[in-house]
Amino acid sequence: MTFEIDYLALAPELVVAGTIIAALLLDLFLTRSKKYWVAVLSVVGVAGGLVPIVYMLAEGGTRSMFDGSYVVDEFALILKIVFLVSGYLVLLMSVSYIEADRYYQGEYYFLLLSSILGSLVMSSSRDLIVLFIGLELTTGPLFLLAGWRKGDAKSNEASLKFFILGVLSTAILLYGMSLLFGLTGSVEFTAIAAAIPDLVSEPALALSVLFLIVGFAFKASAVPFHFWAPDTYEGAPTPVAAYLSVNSKAAGFVAMLIVMYTALPGISEVWAPALWVLAALSMTVGNLSALRQGNIVRLLAYSSIAQAGFMLVPFAAAAVAGSDLAQAFSATVVYLVIYALMNLGAFAVVIAGARRTGSGDIDDWAGLGQKDPVLGLLTALFFLSLAGIPPLAGWYAKFVMFASVIEAGGISTLVLAAIAAVNSVIAFYYYARVIKAVWLDTPSEELLARPGREYAGSIKLTLAISMGLTIAIGIYPTFATYFGEASRVIATGGG
Amino acid sequence: MTYFESYLTVGAFIALGALLVGVVLVLARALAPSNPSAEKLSTYECGVDPVGSGWSQTYVRYYLYGLLFVIFDIEAVFIFPWAIQLESLGMFGLIEMLVFIGILVLGLVYAIRKGVLRWE
Repeated sequence: MTFEIDYLALAPELVVAGTIIAALLLDLFLTRSKKYWVAVLSVVGVAGGLVPIVYMLAEGGTRSMFDGSYVVDEFALILKIVFLVSGYLVLLMSVSYIEADRYYQGEYYFLLLSSILGSLVMSSSRDLIVLFIGLELTTGPLFLLAGWRKGDAKSNEASLKFFILGVLSTAILLYGMSLLFGLTGSVEFTAIAAAIPDLVSEPALALSVLFLIVGFAFKASAVPFHFWAPDTYEGAPTPVAAYLSVNSKAAGFVAMLIVMYTALPGISEVWAPALWVLAALSMTVGNLSALRQGNIVRLLAYSSIAQAGFMLVPFAAAAVAGSDLAQAFSATVVYLVIYALMNLGAFAVVIAGARRTGSGDIDDWAGLGQKDPVLGLLTALFFLSLAGIPPLAGWYAKFVMFASVIEAGGISTLVLAAIAAVNSVIAFYYYARVIKAVWLDTPSEELLARPGREYAGSIKLTLAISMGLTIAIGIYPTFATYFGEASRVIATGGG
Repeated sequence: MTYFESYLTVGAFIALGALLVGVVLVLARALAPSNPSAEKLSTYECGVDPVGSGWSQTYVRYYLYGLLFVIFDIEAVFIFPWAIQLESLGMFGLIEMLVFIGILVLGLVYAIRKGVLRWE
């Protein structure tokens, strides 16, 4: 065991960890009216974490620590950028929301930053223990954050459901990991991958792989492990729901892909069909359930379940067809990047719209476009992007997904592509329903009579950043392709 | 198709698991003598007669104290192995441990500032 520590490689984590401690201390010594300084500090800290990442990306190369358990390669760096930028946007949209709620403000940022730190650790993990710690640090604080509005029964329900199912999934995940460790005698992904060929006939191996998939699928809320998601999103504070649907989902998702890709490529015939089924079910069930939702947060919850299905498609297809997994990996990462931006934008619209209309029901949003044209335009922009209409970023995500499936070839992958195509059409219906309500329906007297309040600057900034990037990637997709290409460099870390 | 074989073993595991539960339940029913008395049916509480109902209230501060105790108890788990290997870990280990304890002390400062240790 070596104790050589590469401080530059750890710099993003150290900056965020330092921010966490500073936020906690600052909260202790500020009076109630000055608490927003904690928010300012958190936003600055998360942005500061990006600096060393950009530096390392420019420099290139792979940094490996702790006998290959912790690897900072381009793949990890790209994911860290995704986690930090989406964490940054969630922090921005939290500021006015949490201030208005008057609950513990300092602790809110402390917990959210801890979760971001967990996802940073997870991106670099190349052994089961580090991966587990990172993943649990990501989800642990969210159990508390989901129940933040503690006077609200729905928020309590959200927290409790999330907690119980989260703990259950953790137990299943750990069981799978313990079986894998017992069989291979190692926790490192490269060592596991090396030991797999001798164990293919071992019955418990298939069991452990399935346990791992179930555990990760809970975190990524893929069907049939999605039951907690809509209730939790609806009850949790909206910024937390946004975080759950982007960061926490991506963390579970990425953890699954890292393990499958680096540790278990030798038995893809076991996990490939399972992922195929997960992808097909998530798309179909998510979309069909979204059709019937009247509440906009629940609609986004089901839409995010369906989007997780789309994200799984390239990887599942390539694994089933036995073609190049690296190609599928980059398609999935491109989808993830674009999804994160447009989904956070959609949630920011929900926060702004709920302030304007005083309601989360789509029917109450009728005529919002007349009352507030800018917000109406943004609603149309993000929902059309989620539906995949050019020239907004969403089309490119879908394009990359279908391209990689067709490249993989084979009957079963084409069936999956057909399911995805049908689902894209279904999805368009319910995204368009929101836009129709906002623009074509006649506004109620009540809505027109409501006073037009000014939005907080932070929410405007969130909307501006996600809008700018959504349009920019849609018109100039090479930008997103860079993320995908760079993420092909996933180093296994050596042993 | 190899993956159907793999899933066959998974199915076998599920069937075995379900079977085991069933067998144990049936065995317990068949073998155990059933001879209930008031004494046996009362709630088990470490062998002592239960006092009051199960819904008795506990002062919430006990919980916070318990939590603080656990944190510092766990700290010892990390400090003992470090203390044994102190010489081989050297200066680096000392600094690492100081950082670790420093962060824990921050937790204590936090608890004090938030009034957790005030007992009124």
